[in-house]
Amino acid sequence: MTSHATETEAIRKSVIVPLPVEKAFRLFTDGIGTWWPFDTHSIEGDKVENAVFDLEGKRLYERTADGTEHDWGDILAWEPPGRFLLGWRVNPASPGTEVEVRFAPEGEGTRVELEHRGWETCGPGERSSYDGGWDHVLGRFVEAA
Amino acid sequence: MDALGDGTRRQILERLRGGPMAVGELAAGLPVSRPAVSQHLRVLKGAGLVTERRNGTRHLYRVHTEGLAEVRDYFESFWTDVLTAFEAAAEAEAEKEDE
Repeated sequence: MTSHATETEAIRKSVIVPLPVEKAFRLFTDGIGTWWPFDTHSIEGDKVENAVFDLEGKRLYERTADGTEHDWGDILAWEPPGRFLLGWRVNPASPGTEVEVRFAPEGEGTRVELEHRGWETCGPGERSSYDGGWDHVLGRFVEAA
Repeated sequence: MDALGDGTRRQILERLRGGPMAVGELAAGLPVSRPAVSQHLRVLKGAGLVTERRNGTRHLYRVHTEGLAEVRDYFESFWTDVLTAFEAAAEAEAEKEDE
């Protein structure tokens, strides 16, 4: 049995890459089209040509060769080259979770830490907290704007 | 049962992240037959990862967010795959600069 605490615990992953922070941030964001595994980790699969961090529109979306776009999430905070924060859609009909990616110097390279949190906002029997979830997300959005 | 141990099932879940879809739409974007997609959907439904709703004559499938533990598990491996791909790209770029 999975406990409730485990179900809502943030997912944390990290890697150390042999690039300075600036370059690691740029490769992750501007260069996302060169490395993201679109075939298996996107909505349109192998039709996807690129993903775009649209700073004007404050959203991250995938784009296919024929121009079809699907949102992956909202850009809630953008602080190059140290971090960015996304409102991440697990399901477009439910409140967003959050994905934060941080870039920090580690030796001659960069430690990239990813945290996917906010699972409690979409847990079972917690519909009443949905509003709170959105307030939180919008609060972060205002903070970022 | 390992509902997510299959690449096609992961891809179905990923496609549903863009919004609810009928079997036909799902199958159109996948390299497997429509009956195969239906079979995968039965497994995903059984695992509590997707729900089915009738909309007129169409049966629409969507990610079942209340099957939270399973969805969270999906993203555990999702982010591992993404960071592994990023690490490989960063190493390739660092090597390129060394040349």
